[in-house]
Order: sequence, then structure tokens, then C-alpha cells
Amino acid sequence: MTAASAEPIISIRNAWKFFGELTALNDVSLDVMPGEKVVICGPSGSGKSTLLRSINRLETVDKGSIIVDGLDVNSPDNDINKIRQELGMVFQSFNLFPHKTVLQNLTMAPMRLRKTPRAEAESRALELLKKVGISDKANVFPAMLSGGQQQRVAIARALAMNPKIMLFDEPTSALDPEMIGEVLDVMVTLAREGMTMVCVTHEMGFAREVADRIIFMDHGQVLEENAPQDFFGAPKHPRLQKFLNQIL
Amino acid sequence: MTTEPQNVRIVITDGAIIPDPKERRIITAWSISFVGALAALVYLCTSRPDPYWRLLQFLPDGIAVTFKVTVLSILCSIPIGLVTGLGRLSRNRLINLVASTYVEVVRGIPLLVQLFYIYYALGRFLKVPDLLAAIIALSVCYGAYMGEVFRAGIDSISKGQTEAARSLGFNRAETMFMVILPQAWRTILPPVGNEFIAMLKDTSLVSIIAVADILRRGREFASESFLYFETYTMIALIYLLITLFLSKGVSIMESRLNYYDRR
Repeated sequence: MTAASAEPIISIRNAWKFFGELTALNDVSLDVMPGEKVVICGPSGSGKSTLLRSINRLETVDKGSIIVDGLDVNSPDNDINKIRQELGMVFQSFNLFPHKTVLQNLTMAPMRLRKTPRAEAESRALELLKKVGISDKANVFPAMLSGGQQQRVAIARALAMNPKIMLFDEPTSALDPEMIGEVLDVMVTLAREGMTMVCVTHEMGFAREVADRIIFMDHGQVLEENAPQDFFGAPKHPRLQKFLNQIL
Repeated sequence: MTTEPQNVRIVITDGAIIPDPKERRIITAWSISFVGALAALVYLCTSRPDPYWRLLQFLPDGIAVTFKVTVLSILCSIPIGLVTGLGRLSRNRLINLVASTYVEVVRGIPLLVQLFYIYYALGRFLKVPDLLAAIIALSVCYGAYMGEVFRAGIDSISKGQTEAARSLGFNRAETMFMVILPQAWRTILPPVGNEFIAMLKDTSLVSIIAVADILRRGREFASESFLYFETYTMIALIYLLITLFLSKGVSIMESRLNYYDRR
């Protein structure tokens, strides 16, 4: 972390979210520093995806505040579309645009939203496709790609906007086991390059390798938060101990 | 795991059966109808040119009028349908209610009654020319149907597409016009084509308010010659051939829109 990183780039304060009777977020607070890699894990229904999605306001919290790069994402004074341009998001189900080629998937947003000239957007896109290892598929439609390839394109699409932060929502959960590695490799590379990352994932090997901090959530609450060594080596909360026993 | 089911087929009304673009066989319901109707037409015109060939020469004006009414009405009903469909999907309660009420009211009144209403009933306050009345009635009526088609088509695109577009920073309108509608279009096209065909048939109703369409021209011919059987046989064959042409056209357009599928 650099000296300028004294301020958190994401700051979640006392966030609450209700889905009817269900409390998805129960007074959650979380700071993420620039360049930091935070992994969020927990059983399904623990609110981890809701927390991640509330960072770019795909979910709106009912109470509490979420500040990204100094801007309150829920304030009507701030243009959420501008804030989202700095927050790359990768989904469990890839969500590539099926009617656009791989290259167009990557150039669409920069050309439209950043007014990047086509030639520049395309050369940047090809660079990114090379980085995620599928430069030979630039002109095919997503339906031609395997799940692992689609997810790598989805990561490249998010990176094409040059976001400050990358959010990953269970990026490998929908993949066949043999394809998980290729996606995680891309994510590890990204982490090594210093990208600020918040990942919801069950890949504990990935968490151990790249996370600066791991958050354990259950029933909408953050129950434990620690560096990987202590998180796995000396889990304190009984729920976490049980969780780790089940998945490791 | 693929992204989402995208081949939702919406079957709405009584247009015509759109041939399946993947159907490769030669003998199909479509080809039997088409060849049969064409053969009947040619046979009648050559074997008994007196009423039949004469009739065929008498009708082209009517065919032109039928097409004119159909095309103009479809051009008006598509934007009405798009606005209605978006309105029905709007989270704004008022907009939603206005669009839904429009659909509800229009669907509850027979087209023929709507036509009479605009031409005769409203004629008390504002004289609407017959052709314009026909186009207004058809556009308003079919706009409501189209609205349902657009709504269902837009609804068929997975939520993930919207979320992906919004998370990149696209606003609502950009998301709708750059991501959702281009995908919804191919789900929408077959039922829109179907509506187009249904509308072409429904234009026969306008013959009642003195628009000189195919049916009107036929009735003129029949009332002079008393050849009812011959006249209406001819008219049925002509309508059938036109709708068969159109349904094939829709089918071809549909297959063109599937370009981004696997293979």
C-alpha cells in the first residue's frame, strides 16, 4: 500500500438491508483500502452477495452509507452511472452480451461512456483479451465460448473501462471444475498488478493466496475478519470454525 | 451453464402459422397451402377466364389499398406498442397504470366496434376521412397487442443483462436500446410478424366504412354480376396467398436474426 492510501476507497458504514422478513445485511461496516484485496465468504444466504452488490448499488441499502472513492453511492447528488464506471463487476453467470462479438463486448462501454475512439478501444480490448488468454476469439459471439472463456471475457470487459476497483460475485461458482483454474489465474494476475479487489468466493485456495483480508459473514453480519493466516490458522468464531471444517 | 434461455417463443394471436426457419422438408403445411392456392388460382383463371380472369383484373386497386392500410397501420402501431410495452414495464405507478388501462380497454372492445366508433360516433364531432379512420382504429387496436408483445419480449431477456450493462455505467435508456431491445427483437419479431398478418386480414373490416380494399372491390363486383361464389373464392385465394407470402417472409427474417447463436 502506498502512502496516499490512508483513506479507504470503499467505506461501508452500518449498512442494513431487508428483503421482507429477511435481514440480508445486519449493521455491516467495512473499509477497503486502495490496492487491498478483500475476500468475502460465508454460507449461502449470508448476505455476502448483497453486500457486494450494494457497493455499486445493484442493491440499495435500507439504512447506512456506502462511500466509494469519496462519493456516496446512494446520494441523489452523485451520478451512479459515473460511479459505476470506476467499479468493474464480474457476475456468477458471466452476463456477456450475446448479440455482440467478444471484441464488441469489450469496446461498447469505453466507446460510449468514455468516448474512446474505436481504434484505441479495439487495440486496448485486444490487449486485454491477450492478457486473459483468448485473443484468438475476438470476433466470435459469446455462445461459441466455454464457460471459463466467457468468464475471462467478462473480466476483460470490466477491465476495459479501466475501473479503480473490481468486484467479483462468485465468479467461479457456475463453472465446471476444470475451468475454475483458468479464471482464478486471471484474478491472481490482476491482484498481483495491484488492483483493488473485493471478491465473494468459495475458493479458499485463492483467498489464502491473494487476500489481504478475509471476511466471514453469516445471517447478514460480519462475524470475523482477519488476515488469511489467522483466518484459517486460528478462527475464533464457532460459526467460522464450523464453516471451515465443512468446506476445507 | 449457459447464460440464459433466449429462445422464448411468444404465441399471441390469430395471425398465421409462421413456418419454422429450421424446417428443411419440402412438403409442409405451408408448401401445400401455397402450391394449392396458386394452382387453384391459375387453373380457374385459365379454364374459366370469364369471371375469374376478369375478377383478377378488377381487384388490384383493392389489393393496393389493403396493403396501404396494413403498412401504414403497422408503422403506427409499432411505436405505440413500444411505448405501451415500456409503460407496462415501468416502475412508475402512474405510467404503468395508464399503459395497462389502455391495453385493457382496447382489448375489451371488438375492432369493428372501434372502427365504427372512430368513423361514425366520433364523426359527430370531427369528420375523419374513411382511410384515416381505418388507420387510426387499426393502429390503436394493434398498438395494444404490440404492447403486450414488446412487454413479453423485453421481459424474456434475463435480469443479468440489465445488471451487466448498468454495472458498466450505462444508464437505463442506453441499457434498453443497446442491450435489451436488440436481443428482445428476435423474440418479438415472430409475434410482430404474426400481428402484421392478422392485421392484414383484419383490414377486411374497413370495407364496411367504404374503404375500397380487396373485399370492398369484390363486393362491388359481386353485386353487379351476382357471381358470389366466384368472387369470394377468388378473394379467399388472394388473401391466402398474401398471408402465406408474408408468413414465409417473417420466417426468413427470423432465421436471419439468429446469427449470434452457436453455429
